[in-house]
Amino acid sequence: MTIRPLMGLFLGSALAAFSSVAMFSNAAWAEDVTVSFLTHWPPETVAKLEAAAATYAKDHPGVKVEVRAVPFGDLLTTLRSQAGQSGGPTITGIYDLWLPELARDKLVNAAPEASATDVTTNWPKGVATAASVGGTVYGYPNEIDVYALNYNKKLFEEAGIKEAPKTWDEFYAAAEKLTNKDKGQQGFGMINSWAAGVVHPFASLLASNGGALVVDGKPQLDSDNAKATFELYEKLIKSGASVATMGTADANTTGPFLDNFVSGKTGMIIMANWWESALKAGMGDRFADIATAPIPVGPKGDGPHSISYSWMTVVSDGATDAEKKAAWDFLAWFNGPTSGENGASAMGDLLQSMGILPSRTSDVAAFAERLKTPFLAGYVSVLSEARPFPTVLGGQEFTESLQGHIEAVQFGKETAAEAAAGAQADATAILEKAAQ
Amino acid sequence: MSGFRKSIVAMLAPSLGLIAIFVLVPIALTIWLAFTKWSSQTPFSTATFIGFDNFREIFGTSSVGRDFKGAMVNTALYSLLSIALLLPLSVLFGMLIHQAELRGANILRTILFATYMVPMIAVALVFSKLYSPTEGPFNQILSWVGIGPQPWLSSPDTALVSVVLLNVWQQVGYFTILIIAGLTQIPHSIYEAARMDGARGPSLFGFITLPLLKRTLLFSAVIALINAVQVFEPVALITQGGPVGSTNVMTYHIRRVGIERAQGGLGSAMSVTLLLALVVTVTAVFALARREDRR
Repeated sequence: MTIRPLMGLFLGSALAAFSSVAMFSNAAWAEDVTVSFLTHWPPETVAKLEAAAATYAKDHPGVKVEVRAVPFGDLLTTLRSQAGQSGGPTITGIYDLWLPELARDKLVNAAPEASATDVTTNWPKGVATAASVGGTVYGYPNEIDVYALNYNKKLFEEAGIKEAPKTWDEFYAAAEKLTNKDKGQQGFGMINSWAAGVVHPFASLLASNGGALVVDGKPQLDSDNAKATFELYEKLIKSGASVATMGTADANTTGPFLDNFVSGKTGMIIMANWWESALKAGMGDRFADIATAPIPVGPKGDGPHSISYSWMTVVSDGATDAEKKAAWDFLAWFNGPTSGENGASAMGDLLQSMGILPSRTSDVAAFAERLKTPFLAGYVSVLSEARPFPTVLGGQEFTESLQGHIEAVQFGKETAAEAAAGAQADATAILEKAAQ
Repeated sequence: MSGFRKSIVAMLAPSLGLIAIFVLVPIALTIWLAFTKWSSQTPFSTATFIGFDNFREIFGTSSVGRDFKGAMVNTALYSLLSIALLLPLSVLFGMLIHQAELRGANILRTILFATYMVPMIAVALVFSKLYSPTEGPFNQILSWVGIGPQPWLSSPDTALVSVVLLNVWQQVGYFTILIIAGLTQIPHSIYEAARMDGARGPSLFGFITLPLLKRTLLFSAVIALINAVQVFEPVALITQGGPVGSTNVMTYHIRRVGIERAQGGLGSAMSVTLLLALVVTVTAVFALARREDRR
């Protein structure tokens, strides 16, 4: 068997002790700079990143950009265990939820003035804010993700449903109509075993019911809006319109949840735009059966609101000055309007290849036509009304705790009321402790 | 110090020094960190001493305590189930293969041991598909005998058992080899004497084979326990600790807390507790065995 985490913790401690010695040798290296770029992107996207790095290297012969790719499930672990260490990645693509703790522990380098100005000028305010802590910009934002209702038009037609549900009542009615126990078909698919996959659709339904997960740093999971969202989940489960055992996801965010939707055994799901490539790969020509619609609005809501989250590239504070300088220069070029085609950035090109929405204003303009596809247009339309997922200290633990309570409702281990009360108590303790 | 003693020290120093650096020092560091508040993203110098706070928290009523105790229970269940299935199965297979007259015993032995050599990443990926509720072969096979589809990894009631079955499938060959080694140590003359006294099949097994296999079984149980406590890959690769934390075992939980959440002090306190629990359990098993020997 490979090294276990227990032993890993022990060995990690020992290796950390040697890192300071190794740092001296790094600083004394030759003038050529190697910048490492840690990402969770798949091989075909990594190939595009390597191609962009090769293009950059033509005009910057002293700089070599080296790509290191890990599975999505290992990205945070790799980052936590290598950040700030000698030999750790110079550039890392991170989920914005992780930024506050990385900034607190001084693992990420504050953007130089030119890059900070670039970000605040060329990205929407909300996205630039998510890439900042305490007003300091820490990286270049890239992808932005929002959630929408994905539904199978063919199953809708068979069930006699004319259009996508706009309200929770319509949504529940559609879920019931789409359910066919004899065929093993469920109306609405809920994910389990994947923290963000569980929490983000819930948070989108909550936002569309006029609520929020956190307001001014305080959790709001026992608000009437949140209780109603837990109750919606409970009602869907109890009626059989959602079957919890059909929603398991594995470490690659695939598994039965994806299998059931692509094989036509799930009528509706709430999912992010970046899943386009997974759906296309799983469905082939049947991908044309999939449509998107805004999140159904709850009784207390004022309209459909997805939550949004973004990813960004940060530079390690533990890198040498030469590496930091080269890394920021590469990122400015890679995210700038001259590195891609037709005024788009190379990063924008790369994101679009995966069906991901770019966040740079000029990229959104450059890809306006591409973003008009029926699938992506549904996401672009909800972007302006999206609510950013709260990026707070303790955000990862908060997410995992809420995931536990949502899954407990899905599997009948807690009632909606118990889940709301429990989630609120846990979240309050987690955020208070993290803020200390 | 005499020249002989000096040469002993000189010869042992390299290996003992390496053990000290790579085993003892990290263990000592982990024990120290268990009493501190420390972000595992930062140098050790940032750790601040907080006494027993981490231990109070992991045994408390907060979500941290609940999750930790849940992971302890899951690990204990996983270990007990694994041992309860592995030992009888390995004895059964061992007895089958050990019969000299069994044709193809060597092939069976090779097949059984081959499962142990398959990397866990491959086993996990294959089993995740075998367990698939809708398209998985296991449910298709069950349907042939009129049993409805089982949720396997998709339900908190069955997920842990499903991971145990995966573990048993992979490790049973290794333990079978250990049992065969134990069986070869039992002299044939004892069986012959027992047969002359009228003992037959079950009596031979119950009064000769099992008692004389006790040391092998004890060793196998301890190794199976240590392996089971360290289970990590199938959980990380397939279930991510879910659903509803039903497969959240200690090693996976320690990684989540100590590395993903960067709560190094808490993670260290959990590691130390796990280590102590393992030491106490193994010591108790050996103590019980010694007491049985004295009887």
